Amino acid sequence: MRDLKRIGMVLGWFVVLGGVIFTLMAAAYIGAGYVEQFGLEKLQVRGVGSLVNMLILMLAFVMVLATLLTLAERKWSALMQDRIGPNRARIDLPIPIIGPLLAKQSLAGAPHILTDVFKMLTKEDFQPAAANKFLFNLAPMLAFAPPFALFAIIPAGPTVVVAGQKIMMTVSNPDFGLLYLFAIASLAVYGTSLAGWASNNKFALLGGVRAASQMISYEVALGLSLVGMMIAFGTVQLAGPTGMTELQSHYLWRFGGEGGFDIGLPAWGILLQPAGFILFFTAAFAETKRAPFDVPEGESEIIGYFVEYSGMKFGLFMISEFVEVVVLAAVLVAIFFGGWYLPFGNEYIARIPVFAEHGWLMGALYATVFWTKVIAMCFVQLMIRWTFPRFRYDQIQTLGWKILLPVGLLNVFVTGALILWDPSLRMLAIVGLLEIAIVAALTLVPRPAERKAAETALAHAHEAPAPAGGH
Amino acid sequence: MAQDDYDPTPDNDELEAHLQTKNMVINLGPSHPAMHGTVRMRVELDGEILAKVDTEIGFLHRGFQKSCENVTWTQVLPYTDRLNYVSSLMNNFGYLNAVEKLIGIEIPERAKYIRVIASELHRIHDHVTATGALGLELGAFAAFLYGIEARELITDRVTELTGARLTTNYGRIGGCNRDLPPGWIEKTIKTLDRCSELIEEVGALLTRNRIFTDRCRGTGVISTEDALDHGFTGPCLRANGINYDIRKAKPYWVYDRMKFEVPLGKNGDNLDRYLLRVEEMRQSISIIRQALEQIPDGPVIIDDWRIVLPPKQEVYSTIEGVMAHFKLIMEGIQVPVGEVYDSTEAANGELGWYLRSDGSGRPYKVHVRAPGFHILSGVGKMVEGRMLADLIPTFDTINMIGGEVEQ
Repeated sequence: MRDLKRIGMVLGWFVVLGGVIFTLMAAAYIGAGYVEQFGLEKLQVRGVGSLVNMLILMLAFVMVLATLLTLAERKWSALMQDRIGPNRARIDLPIPIIGPLLAKQSLAGAPHILTDVFKMLTKEDFQPAAANKFLFNLAPMLAFAPPFALFAIIPAGPTVVVAGQKIMMTVSNPDFGLLYLFAIASLAVYGTSLAGWASNNKFALLGGVRAASQMISYEVALGLSLVGMMIAFGTVQLAGPTGMTELQSHYLWRFGGEGGFDIGLPAWGILLQPAGFILFFTAAFAETKRAPFDVPEGESEIIGYFVEYSGMKFGLFMISEFVEVVVLAAVLVAIFFGGWYLPFGNEYIARIPVFAEHGWLMGALYATVFWTKVIAMCFVQLMIRWTFPRFRYDQIQTLGWKILLPVGLLNVFVTGALILWDPSLRMLAIVGLLEIAIVAALTLVPRPAERKAAETALAHAHEAPAPAGGH
Repeated sequence: MAQDDYDPTPDNDELEAHLQTKNMVINLGPSHPAMHGTVRMRVELDGEILAKVDTEIGFLHRGFQKSCENVTWTQVLPYTDRLNYVSSLMNNFGYLNAVEKLIGIEIPERAKYIRVIASELHRIHDHVTATGALGLELGAFAAFLYGIEARELITDRVTELTGARLTTNYGRIGGCNRDLPPGWIEKTIKTLDRCSELIEEVGALLTRNRIFTDRCRGTGVISTEDALDHGFTGPCLRANGINYDIRKAKPYWVYDRMKFEVPLGKNGDNLDRYLLRVEEMRQSISIIRQALEQIPDGPVIIDDWRIVLPPKQEVYSTIEGVMAHFKLIMEGIQVPVGEVYDSTEAANGELGWYLRSDGSGRPYKVHVRAPGFHILSGVGKMVEGRMLADLIPTFDTINMIGGEVEQ
């Protein structure tokens, strides 16, 4: 009963969240449409609408989602660990009726976000005397900005016509698409390394060095992992009519529903490139510096590269991690999970007259689908973060250089060969499905080595030497 | 020059400029997340490799041995709680056992069973904390919290039995100061059911996790000779395959009536120590179940007013009772002149007590051979030449408890 209530509460929050997302995205589309129209008519400038996109996607979505993730991390981890999670912070307003009522509610821990903010902003901003002041202050900014900038190329919704203008729900859609992602993603590590070096603290220095070496060993795998997708779709762009998202809405096999509700197996990246997905997920996860790849932080070993930071400077490091989680989730959704598209029924929805008439309605609906997928991917990341122990520094290097890199290379060649053989991508999908089946089988069936390890302790009890004797 | 002769070190070439490097010295602790209790490690790092590890203890020193000499034999008992505070009942019983041996008394059957049950409960308590903390410090927080649930249930049972969560102060010279509370046995059996579920769950989360086993396998290795030289006992010694468990080697109380196996490892690494602890918890659960079935009725403490406080009824109504009570409280138990060494198998190994009595009511000398102290001395050998990150699981699997190392 208690569990049911909890699940109900969680679902309720998601419905509320979905409604908020829908409303915001509808506002984004309408706002962008009218601003674009205004810009075109009054200023004779194109692309003013993307200012609205920038504000809403970056500030309202990425920032707020990252903030909510600080709470979600606590609440979801509590769910995984059979705890209640934060519920002590209350809002006590001096208003007659609502005040006392609010004070009784824990609001699912939401006030903890506020308390966090106040704590971070009001704490003493301490600087070690021997630290390099300029770099010390620069580091949090360098850590915070790149993940934000990364989001610029992610399309959060379809291109629809609002107020007579074509509105593309992305900040920008450069020709170099994913290359921008690679370039910006590797910038984040400068903040970390600088923080480690400028703090003039040995623990922090170790953290900074670890972060740099981790970045180097994963950057290559990160790049290689997406080459397969680039070959398959023949583009590096994410948004636009020839972008990856659009191409993923096509069906590999169509099971029917001509004229009605269409059903089929879509050409989602995860089906075409499961190996690429795992590689990219691993490598990008390593770049977010969260467990199991949190060696730069290594809380129980070296405390972390930000050991000397306090107040909001530490807050910037912390929130940048969460921003990275959101952005990584968005990238994964855009490249591997069909972007804003539903797996089926897209043609059916496009034919519904209301949607055809009001572009913003369809835009907001699909954008809600996109953000729902993003939140789901955030949950997956949190689940991994809370169940896996941390790698050792050299094990991370081994994984990056000896496993991910060769597998990535192999994946590129196999993908190329399969596409050469069958340009319709179907052969690639068959191999992809096989790969998924193999990975599932490997995961579910315990390997003999593991079973042996589990039984080592007792196995030797019988062949042991005689007791060493008492006193 | 043949390929085999090629020496890549720059010393080979006199024109090669040497890159001057020096090791970095950092202090892990006394306040450091990985240093339980308060212990400092002065670590010399060559990159990420531990070139040298100096363990420095003393931050938690409380003068245990000297304190014991100033109080009566009974009043030493609360001090023993503070040695290994994760399994305080075992310290209580270990001390009591040694004093009883010095006096030469046999405690009642029921008291022996209670001591076995309570000891094994705290063995699970200790091991579940150690394995959970191992997961925690390697980053697997969930495993720790599942373990804590089991620990919390055991703490509840211990509270019902002794009246305290941590500092139990349970048992008296000659037996136990109180009997099992009504309904305690049924509750304990239910607790054990839940505990074994949780232990399996923690085991599944950690043992089948590739990252976890990779971090533990082959790290923190100590050779059998070194382990013996340093005086390792308990799970840390058995992980090397040496079958030395005092419960089997020199059965005390009623351990000879229990059926249990002593799990052994063979590599002496962190994984073996971890697996061994998990298996020991299973064995402990089985021991408690057997003991709860076999436990007889009867008194829990001997009836000798020279050693045991008389019942309150007697104190208030008879002159003999008042006198015995007064003598015991003011002068303490008159332990005969002599010395004794006695040891029990505590959660971390051999917990030895060397006691000396000069015939007065207070101990002349109390020395504790705490297992953690000897094991901690071997940490340097276990991790030197390995990565800094290996120090963490090693420090967890030896389960150093500050309180018993620094008395």
